[in-house]
Formats: sequence, structure tokens, C-alpha cells
Amino acid sequence: MSATSHAHHDEAGQAPLVGSLGVDSRKLGLWAFIGSETLFFTALITTHLIFYARTKAELTASGMFAHLDPKHFLGINLTSVLAAILLASSLTMVLALAASKAKEWQKFRFWLLATIILGSSFVLGQAYEFTHLYEEGLKLAPQFVFEGETVKSLFGVTFFTMTGFHGLHVTLGVVWLIAVYFKVRKFAASPENPMDVELVGLYWHFVDLVWVAIFTLIYLI
Amino acid sequence: MAEHATHDQHAEVHESHGTGFYWMVGAILAIITTIEVAIFLVKDAIGNELFLVILFVLSIAKGAGVVMFFMHLRGDARIFQFVFIVPLIFAVTMCLGFLTIFSNHVGIAG
Repeated sequence: MSATSHAHHDEAGQAPLVGSLGVDSRKLGLWAFIGSETLFFTALITTHLIFYARTKAELTASGMFAHLDPKHFLGINLTSVLAAILLASSLTMVLALAASKAKEWQKFRFWLLATIILGSSFVLGQAYEFTHLYEEGLKLAPQFVFEGETVKSLFGVTFFTMTGFHGLHVTLGVVWLIAVYFKVRKFAASPENPMDVELVGLYWHFVDLVWVAIFTLIYLI
Repeated sequence: MAEHATHDQHAEVHESHGTGFYWMVGAILAIITTIEVAIFLVKDAIGNELFLVILFVLSIAKGAGVVMFFMHLRGDARIFQFVFIVPLIFAVTMCLGFLTIFSNHVGIAG
């Protein structure tokens, strides 16, 4: 007899997929995924920091670096707003989870919709930022022509790869949120709803956590 | 075995907070973000070293707040803490190690 069959229904009427470790297997799987994603994003951030320092050393003397550094020609206004948006979405997400556990479905739908709107706003803001940076001269290429001069630097590649992957994670998170919204609306009585919301919530808070690191290490320092 | 599983199952039930608590945490995180941006704007006045120290302390506090209270890792099952914190320690060690190796164009980065 498998360990799953021993699972007891909890107070909310859920039947958690309890494995041999005594915890919900889906939640454990998601935490393991988040652990692996931590290593993935750290590798991207580390690579970018290394090439940022190299590019700065090589291009500062010619005065070209100031034109390529997003902080110099974009400022931190936009990224500060994006940080605030993602932070607010984390709050609305945890409020949605609390509402789902309390079976207050109207409140749940309100907070989850707010999370979806805030997440979509973040993606649009990042798309605007990327467009602006590209037009200013920062390219996703190891070699490009900037103001008539050929620049050899992986700075643009590492910057767009790192922030692009984060943006992709936010986009996938928005898709997941939308899927959970409609799933809960269609199957309001499903005992699995609170766990479904908790799982997408964990993922969503993680992408917020990654932005906390990127905002500090890339945009502020 | 079944008793053991049941015991651990209780450990998975994390701390439950009211919505007022989450609003309070959200407000504190918003204040931290505001301070981060504010000290960035006065970076030249306070000096780079102090700026970095304050920024790292605030960012770590903000990240810890998200993980402990929004992701509910505080008070959750130990296995969840293990599968997140161990890779995080590896990641931070890797980051610091590579930044040291590649700093100032020395070592294998020369």
C-alpha cells in the first residue's frame, strides 16, 4: 500500500499527495524546482557581474561605457517602479492565498486578478525598457557598432539574457495565474484549490525574490 | 511508518497569519524598497562603502521577509527549508567565489 493512500484529509477537506517524507509531493517538487532555479539565476547574475566589471574597465577610458550602462541613460526610475509593482503583486498573491484558504472566493478572485494585472504591467514595463535600451545602442550581440565604433563586449548579451529569463519567468507565472483563476472559477468546490493557489503563489514569490536580487545587484550597485 | 508520516504531516502545516499581518509585512517591504532607492540617490554623499553595507543589509532583510512570511518557509516543514536553503548556500558561495576569481582581471580571468 502506498504512502499516498494513508493520507488524511485535512481541515479544509484536502487530500494532499503525501509521499514517504510526510509532505505534499507537489509542494516538495516545487520547492526543489525553486532550489534549482536559485542556482540558475545566480549563475546568470554572476556572469553578468563579471562582464559588467570587465566592460566598465575596458570602455570607461573612451567614455563609451556611460552610453552603454542602462543606469546612466535610463536611470532607476523605471526599474524602481517595476520593483514596486512586483512587490505589490507578492502582497496581492498572499492575500489571494489567504482568501482561498478561508474559502472567500470573491475576495480570492479580486486579489488574484490584481496579481495578474500587476504581473502583466511588469512584463509590459520590461518590454518598454528592453526596447529603449536596444534603441539606445545596447545589443544582444557580442560585437556591435555603437556611434561608428565597433564594440566587443558580452555585457549586452549577459544583461539581456539575465533580465530576459526573469521576464520569461514572470510571463509564464502570469499564464499560470490565469490558468489557476479559471480553474478555480470552473471548479469552485474542488478540494485541491487551496494547494493549486499555494503552488502558483510559491512560484510567484520566487520571481519577486529574483527581482529583489537583480534590482539590488544590477540596477542599484 | 504511518505514524511517522502523520507526525511529519503536522509539521507541514505552516503558521497561519491574518490579512492584517500580510499588509504589515508588505508595508515594511515597501518602506525598505523606498529606503534602498533613497540611499542610491544620496550615494555620493554617504560614500560607496556605507552605501553597499546598507544596501546589502536592506536587500537581505527584504528577501528574508518574502521567503519567511509570503512563502511561509518560516514554520513550514524542515524538508522545504532544506531543499531551498542548501542550493541557496551553494549559489551564494559560487557567486562570491567566481567574483573573487575574476576580480581585477587576475587568475583565470586575466
